[in-house]
Amino acid sequence: MPRQKSERFIVPIGPQHPALKEPGHFEFTVEGEVVTNATARLGFVHRGMEKGAESRTWTQDLYLMERVCGICSHVHSMAFVLGVEKLANVQAPPRAQAIRELVAELERIHSHILWLGVAAHEGGFDTLFMFSWRDRETVMDLLETISGNRVNYSANVLGGVKVDINERQKDELLRGMDFLEERTRHYLKVVTEDDTFLGRTRNIGVMTFEEATRLGAIGPTGRASGLLRDVRMDSPYAGYPDFPIQIVTAKAGDLEARFVVRIKELFESYRLVREIVEKIPSGDLTTKIPRRIPEGETVSRVEAPRGELFYYIKSNGTDRPERVKVRTPSLCNCASVLTTAIGHKLADMPMILAGIDPCFSCNDRMVVLNGPAGQSLWDWEKLRQYGIEYYKK
Amino acid sequence: MNVTFPPLIALLLFPGGLFLLASGLVFEYVDRKFIARYQNRIGPRWFQPLADLVKLLAKEEVIPAGTIKGLFIALPIAALAAALTAGLNVPLFGFRPVFSYPGDLIGTLYLLSLMTLCIGLAGANTENRFSIVGATRALTQLFSYEAPFLLALLGPAIALGTWNIGEINQAAGMNLWFILSQPIGFLAALIGLMGKLELPPFDAPEAETEIVAGALTEYSGRGFALFRIGRDVELVIGLTLIASFYLGGFSSPLDFLWKTAVLLLITAALQSLFARLRIDQTVGLWWRVGAILLLVQMLVIIVGSSLAPFVSRLFGG
Amino acid sequence: MNTQEALEKAEAILKDLALSFTCPEENRLDAVIKADDLKKAVEALLVTNRWGYLSALTGLDNPEYEVDEDTREKVAVEGKGSLEVLYHFAAGAAITTLRVSLPYDAAEIDSICDLVPAATLYEREAMELFGICFKGTPSTEHLVLPDCWPNGVYPLRKTFKGLNEKAQG
Repeated sequence: MPRQKSERFIVPIGPQHPALKEPGHFEFTVEGEVVTNATARLGFVHRGMEKGAESRTWTQDLYLMERVCGICSHVHSMAFVLGVEKLANVQAPPRAQAIRELVAELERIHSHILWLGVAAHEGGFDTLFMFSWRDRETVMDLLETISGNRVNYSANVLGGVKVDINERQKDELLRGMDFLEERTRHYLKVVTEDDTFLGRTRNIGVMTFEEATRLGAIGPTGRASGLLRDVRMDSPYAGYPDFPIQIVTAKAGDLEARFVVRIKELFESYRLVREIVEKIPSGDLTTKIPRRIPEGETVSRVEAPRGELFYYIKSNGTDRPERVKVRTPSLCNCASVLTTAIGHKLADMPMILAGIDPCFSCNDRMVVLNGPAGQSLWDWEKLRQYGIEYYKK
Repeated sequence: MNVTFPPLIALLLFPGGLFLLASGLVFEYVDRKFIARYQNRIGPRWFQPLADLVKLLAKEEVIPAGTIKGLFIALPIAALAAALTAGLNVPLFGFRPVFSYPGDLIGTLYLLSLMTLCIGLAGANTENRFSIVGATRALTQLFSYEAPFLLALLGPAIALGTWNIGEINQAAGMNLWFILSQPIGFLAALIGLMGKLELPPFDAPEAETEIVAGALTEYSGRGFALFRIGRDVELVIGLTLIASFYLGGFSSPLDFLWKTAVLLLITAALQSLFARLRIDQTVGLWWRVGAILLLVQMLVIIVGSSLAPFVSRLFGG
Repeated sequence: MNTQEALEKAEAILKDLALSFTCPEENRLDAVIKADDLKKAVEALLVTNRWGYLSALTGLDNPEYEVDEDTREKVAVEGKGSLEVLYHFAAGAAITTLRVSLPYDAAEIDSICDLVPAATLYEREAMELFGICFKGTPSTEHLVLPDCWPNGVYPLRKTFKGLNEKAQG
């Protein structure tokens, strides 16, 4: 007898769920413990940034774009800045480009360690979660010493950067890298040798090279399946032509490989930070950039911690952009989760979800409050009243 | 210590009843504090478990639609009552068991399992998907650890030839400690207790990142508070049992204190050392490794105790 | 394969299908194609020749503007101009963009989800933000907008200036 749709047992994860620190909605159809189907629904924190960008000036947009994502704010502003500089035919000075790369790598360190903790927590390994987040404070402090902020560093301005590093900060950076490198070695050992943890990661959520190619996986998720895709290497931007990276890949394509790739990328980032600190070119921090950007369109790609970040910027010759299109890495990798999830146990879902390092607020960029009563904007009193009425039922 | 309490006091105040509840909170605090220190955190303040409990008791209890209301209210009470009753049979705080009969070991273990059964029923009673998955897992886990846990506690009982907890407690101190002669049994009992209490890494039935709070997702306020305190009480009773069986019994409250503290230190370490096991991994661990090792040990004990008279005659005679 | 070779190869692949080619930047190739040829072009690029991967899908709204007499602001005119869908493919540093222009009254295009499964999310996004109909796309549910969003209102079109009371369903 064919099963009726209503008979299926669907376990919803999200939009409010302890496994996801951000609102996304996934529905897993399960039979017993085994997942047979998966669907996604995003948009719970859509904030209308692409539309909003069209009514702001280029400089205002820089700050808007930096707030697309709280974790990888620097790469968003960098993609935007690089695109606009290309349109205006302006080159930021070498020292500025090096500092951009430095902050980007520090951000990658913070993001990868953050992910390590979250993924460990999804697997019920809270000790690793606590330890990795304690160590993440080191890099957060470094970012604060450089830019004055722990998140949304706003290091970029159109035509350069607005933060510089001095000798004292260099010392702190080097010391921080030494400490983190030692800790990271330990974590690499934990995720590759701890038996209970390997039981949750080895051969779980496998995405083969062929699948990864077909699904268009990017970033560490794709690299863990052996895809050689990294914008920093494919099309170097900012300081990357002068301070190149070594690409890190793995073959297995399972969760363990995603752990290993991310952790090995950390070592690569430590090396880059050290190299930049030692060999940073001297010179100006900014160049002049016109207020009105010449007409044209450009594509700007940078490697965010989660993978390739894609910006399409179109200018109509005024001081406001005609169109800014943001395609975040999580959107690409979402498709891969929905496919790899099928056939796995429900218990593995949080880890597979976390395996791509999803970042939902990156994906969602718009909101209009649109309540059933018909108002498009509610003040506080109305919201309160609505809440009271709602719960009276 | 052979102090006899008047029945009503023993039931309501000491060592059962209120004092048992209070010590449950203390044990929970110590457990949480140990784990926090292992994880390089500060951990809760000493009154935090009490504060949690009071807060939960004061909160509104929401009874969701689609449940059997009576069952929903009765289950936490039954669970706590079973745990408190079990407390009367064990040498709490080093005092003689308040209530004792031959073979009370089996009765006590049954009462301790009632908690898990109640949680399973509570989950199945609601329509919440997380609860149902959690209830299935809780009951699956029950079937995996229960038999090995029982075998582990039967080891000392068979070796001593009595199934009465009080007598085992007294006799355990006179022989070589069972932790040395039956190390497998000790480990199985300790880990079985962690499975029973759904502590990490056996917390699949309430894995928050998958199924929110498992079977108890729909519980709030009083019901949830009762389940929580019930679990704390069970922690005290379980540790008491294991310490009295394997760590040479109690002859004084001081004995009780340091022995259970050591056990708590070990369980806290185990809780922070491992990643959560999937439910199929838990079942596999218990039946493929735990049960077989315990059966072998049981065989050795039975053969050994039946051979003992011959051996002693051989050498002594 | 360096960037220049990659672009030349892409140009050779698309030669029969494209209406015109432009090179806006040194690492980019834009090919304007007809809506009916889109699937053939994508198949030729990705499936037959394995040229890179689909990096992003951008929707564009190119309306005709006229100057409002009172406010002296440029205002988009309803129904004039065209929508445009840009399919960006990346291989290394090289980016090939397929540009498809669509009229407002027949904003329909074939879905490429059977060739590129990852395109489903991009298509759903363009669908609800621009009102472009992708024929044969597997899911047409809301992706980013609220469930109670009114039908036929597409926020990224230039004529959209916010929801008013009337537009809400």
